[in-house]
Amino acid sequence: MNDDQPRIDGLARITGRAVYVDDLVRPRMVVAKFVRSPHPHATIVSIDLTAALAVPGVVGSMVGDELPVKFGPIPVGRDETALAVGKVRYVGEPVVAIAAVDEETAHRACRLVNIVYEPLPAVLTLDDALAEDAPLIHAEKRKATNVLRRVHQSHGDVDKALAGAAVVIERAFSYPGSTHVPLEPHAALAEVEPDGRLVVYASTQNPHYLHKDLAVVLGLPEHRVRVVKPAVGAGYGGKCDPTSVEICSAFLARKLGRPVKIALEREEVFYQHRGRHPAVMWIRLGLNADGSLAGIDFKAKAAGGAYASYGVVTAYYLGVFLTLPYRVDHVRFETLRAYTNEPPCGPKRGHGAIQPRLAVECALDEAAAALGLDPAAVRRQNAVPDGHVTANGLVVGTCGLVRCLDAVVLASGWNERRGKLGPNRGLGIAASSYMCGALHPVYDDAMPQSAAVVKLDRSGEVVLFVGTSDVGQGSSDVLARICAERLGVDVGLVRVVEGDTSLCPVDLGSYSSRVTFFAGNAVIAAADAAKKRLPEGVPWLAAIQQAEESGGTVVGVGSYSPPKVGSRFKRQSVGPSPAYSFTAQVAEVEVDPETGITRVVKVWCAHDVGHALNRGSCEGQIEGCVYMGVGEALYEEQAYRAGVVKAPSLLEYRVPTVHETPEIVPILIETFEPAGPLGAKEVGEGPQLPTVPAIANALYDAIGVRLYDAPFTPDRVRKAVLAASKGAR
Amino acid sequence: MLPLPRFQLSRPTSLADALIAVADGAVVIAGGTDLLPSMKHRLFEPARVVSLAGIASLRTIVPQERGLVLGSGCTLRDVARDQTVLRLFPALAAACRTVATPTIQAMGTIGGQVALDTRCVYYNQPAGWRQSVGGCLKKDGAVCHVAPKGTGCYAAHAADTVPALWLYDAVIQLASTAGDREVPLRDLYGDDGRTWLGVRPDELITSIALPAPASSVVHRKVRTRAAIDYAALLVAVSRSDQGLRAVVSAVGPRPIEVAAATPEALAEAAHEAVRPLGTHLHPVPWRRALVRIEVLRAVNGLISP
Ligand SMILES: Cc1cc2nc3c(=O)[nH]c(=O)nc-3n(C[C@H](O)[C@H](O)[C@H](O)COP(=O)(O)OP(=O)(O)OC[C@H]3O[C@@H](n4cnc5c(N)ncnc54)[C@H](O)[C@@H]3O)c2cc1C
Ligand code: SF4
Repeated sequence: MNDDQPRIDGLARITGRAVYVDDLVRPRMVVAKFVRSPHPHATIVSIDLTAALAVPGVVGSMVGDELPVKFGPIPVGRDETALAVGKVRYVGEPVVAIAAVDEETAHRACRLVNIVYEPLPAVLTLDDALAEDAPLIHAEKRKATNVLRRVHQSHGDVDKALAGAAVVIERAFSYPGSTHVPLEPHAALAEVEPDGRLVVYASTQNPHYLHKDLAVVLGLPEHRVRVVKPAVGAGYGGKCDPTSVEICSAFLARKLGRPVKIALEREEVFYQHRGRHPAVMWIRLGLNADGSLAGIDFKAKAAGGAYASYGVVTAYYLGVFLTLPYRVDHVRFETLRAYTNEPPCGPKRGHGAIQPRLAVECALDEAAAALGLDPAAVRRQNAVPDGHVTANGLVVGTCGLVRCLDAVVLASGWNERRGKLGPNRGLGIAASSYMCGALHPVYDDAMPQSAAVVKLDRSGEVVLFVGTSDVGQGSSDVLARICAERLGVDVGLVRVVEGDTSLCPVDLGSYSSRVTFFAGNAVIAAADAAKKRLPEGVPWLAAIQQAEESGGTVVGVGSYSPPKVGSRFKRQSVGPSPAYSFTAQVAEVEVDPETGITRVVKVWCAHDVGHALNRGSCEGQIEGCVYMGVGEALYEEQAYRAGVVKAPSLLEYRVPTVHETPEIVPILIETFEPAGPLGAKEVGEGPQLPTVPAIANALYDAIGVRLYDAPFTPDRVRKAVLAASKGAR
Repeated sequence: MLPLPRFQLSRPTSLADALIAVADGAVVIAGGTDLLPSMKHRLFEPARVVSLAGIASLRTIVPQERGLVLGSGCTLRDVARDQTVLRLFPALAAACRTVATPTIQAMGTIGGQVALDTRCVYYNQPAGWRQSVGGCLKKDGAVCHVAPKGTGCYAAHAADTVPALWLYDAVIQLASTAGDREVPLRDLYGDDGRTWLGVRPDELITSIALPAPASSVVHRKVRTRAAIDYAALLVAVSRSDQGLRAVVSAVGPRPIEVAAATPEALAEAAHEAVRPLGTHLHPVPWRRALVRIEVLRAVNGLISP
């Protein structure tokens, strides 16, 4: 293990041989396209399909009333329908689907659909949403409010702690909404098998949940539905929700008796969204005279768009990780997630934990400066120890934060270089912690959350069946390595069969950084069980054959349920995890003070990954996280004008190119977490948490101005520089 | 994928045939790097499209006694790599290399630069998006969202190479079945984003003539990313015996020229003359503030004659 080997799926991906949903073609297949709402909030008065259906090549249609069953990714947020029913709630919401023999015909027919709307007053900002007399986006809800969820938790006595602190920083911050930009847009192909069973090929992170949702929405027994996930071109959280793409293709396939494909256009991915919640935040953070963290008092309001998605969970994530990675006994937070007439927000890499990091890490930096303390040393001093239990009951396990901090301080030359880089160049630091899978699944039962079957073939091949969803992050590679390691064979012998709800045992999916940890543990159990069947001291092939002779096909089954820890607080179902990863980052920036154009020159990122099961994959995840953080810090924003996405294209929604991507130095810290598979922890999300605040703190070091509102656009940086020079005069 | 509307494509191999096609209403496609995305956005749905790719004579770079004639079909990569261009017109080569990305430079042509449509955040959008804002004066609507009280369109000139071509005194050679004519590049553009281009629909740009360079030119482009992005601001400056000149573009339908004796006066004149509007995602005050800065920087980049 621990070597830097090419991924088992690497060659297929880079040579274009990996098969994605849109590569699939079926006999008699038709394609469907959506007609989307041009209004942020409007009643649907009438829908006239006559002209569209008259177009030669059009084979069918679907409207919302045909399938009014509500769904959503979590039980407390089922407020969506496959197509709008009665009214539309955001610009870009699908209202009608038209199926035709080819894309061009469907597109042309869509433009002939005549929908009459009666516009309603729209809720376009957080203030709109929270106003006394705000129009209700979901009037059918029990409570007459646009607030989806409020969370309020208090641990210790924050007011007292802050009253006794040597310095208290009180600031307001804002964090932008952003979207995932998976290279592969969402796509699904649905067909009804000859025996009447439904198969949906989908670009999804969560085949299992999608399977359940399809059954509920279509009114089918679960055993009559199968979800297959081919190769997926990334998700970053954007492919966790069940969507109109899968549900409409499935509905239409049954209605028309033909395979139906829906593949979104890039513009539509911006409407599908489920991206980062824009949040306004307020923080009071205090340091005691000895540099220890006195307390954190925090508020956040997130504008969530028109549907719930995972928004209830987001409201918790905005607060529950305030108790990490620093020891703090006095914490209080009030968060809320509201509905607005905009495309729905949802989970994006570092779900809900990213936004508060900006507030905490910048306020901590400011507090350290006020006390004349080194920001790196203050973080080191406050790092939680191994086995720490946080004020809100999170049980830490191993913690490599001190080693992470030491590593980035050393690698970046922090002590020698900070403050000495000359004008307009600076270093900033930030740290964080993230979960390795949510302890509590989306629906609660006693069944395992991950499972694996290992079959040893008499040919010597090892077939690993797992219900996981490799979306490009390399989960199949890592699971194959774990399997090979436990069996003591070369990884080349392992074939992974995954992402198929009929062939594979259940796994809950690729979210909350759970796959390596949860499925990895299941694979260990399955491989060990299979290995138990083998006689000892016999070469591989002979061992399998002997075992098969004596007891039939050699199969091992394993599963994983996380330990029931971290549930000290009844309300605390969000946050607890079997282990936590830790990250420290130093960013170096260079600012053009006249134009305000900022460049991130280099980022050093040390991450406590427990045990690196494939160094290349771990480093790749770190690079991807930092890259995404740089985008959110400087370039990206899912912004709206009167409810209309300003830039639904990759031309104007500016993800960094290779030129804007800094040199990234990934440093892997290994703490061998006892609860993790072979000691491993997550690395897919955590490393993004410190990037934006590290850049903010580096900007301060460079230009002597603190910026509280991301993204740090040239315009904002320029204004800040000008304001500071006026102040200095 | 966003599908193209249906159209009929012809690929003549002679200029004469191409001229007949445009006289007959066909829309010209050169590299297609702007026309095709715009057609996907349903900004244009021409029944007939005529490709210039098969006309070899349009893809030549012919050195003259003192200057150069660029065939309109030369790709930006052809131009940027041409030895004579590099020697005599280095700012043009530099400008070609700031367009979009290397792949687009390998397809997009210099003729397409000269004829490039004006751009606006309300215009360069997919059809459904434009419907959600009710269209605008430039396409399918009754108001301008950038200047709602006005009657004009302010969509901005966006071609990277035009300010440098302007200061190199480029002359555009046009052909049609009705006859040929020449127009100095600086007289080609108008003040409304809908009718900015002084090329008739039945005309083709055949070549761009560059006289012997009378001045040294520096090209600058402001954008947040070093690739892909269109300019938030384009500036070219030149110094000759007559003094300093600056052309500022990406701020309105027509590039704006100012002249002055000193760098400071030039920057001030540019700042006074240029009024960017909300046609870009970048905020207007920032783009305006950059005019002065970028003109000064460009002048600093000039090599003394
Ligand atoms: C992602 C992306 C980024 C871009 N970024 C930039 C940028 O940063 N800067 C920039 O300047 N451009 C940019 N472009 C636009 C475009 O690539 C270039 O302007 C290119 O030079 C256009 O040339 P073309 O041959 O592809 O034009 P086409 O798309 O073929 O044509 C463009 C227009 O010119 C007309 N036309 C073309 N040739 C002639 C002719 N000989 N006679 C008469 N009319 C003609 C066409 O009818 C059409 O209206 C970008 C494009 C894309 C897709
Ligand atoms: S400037 Fe006005 S009229 Fe012109 S494209 Fe933009 S919004 Fe339309």
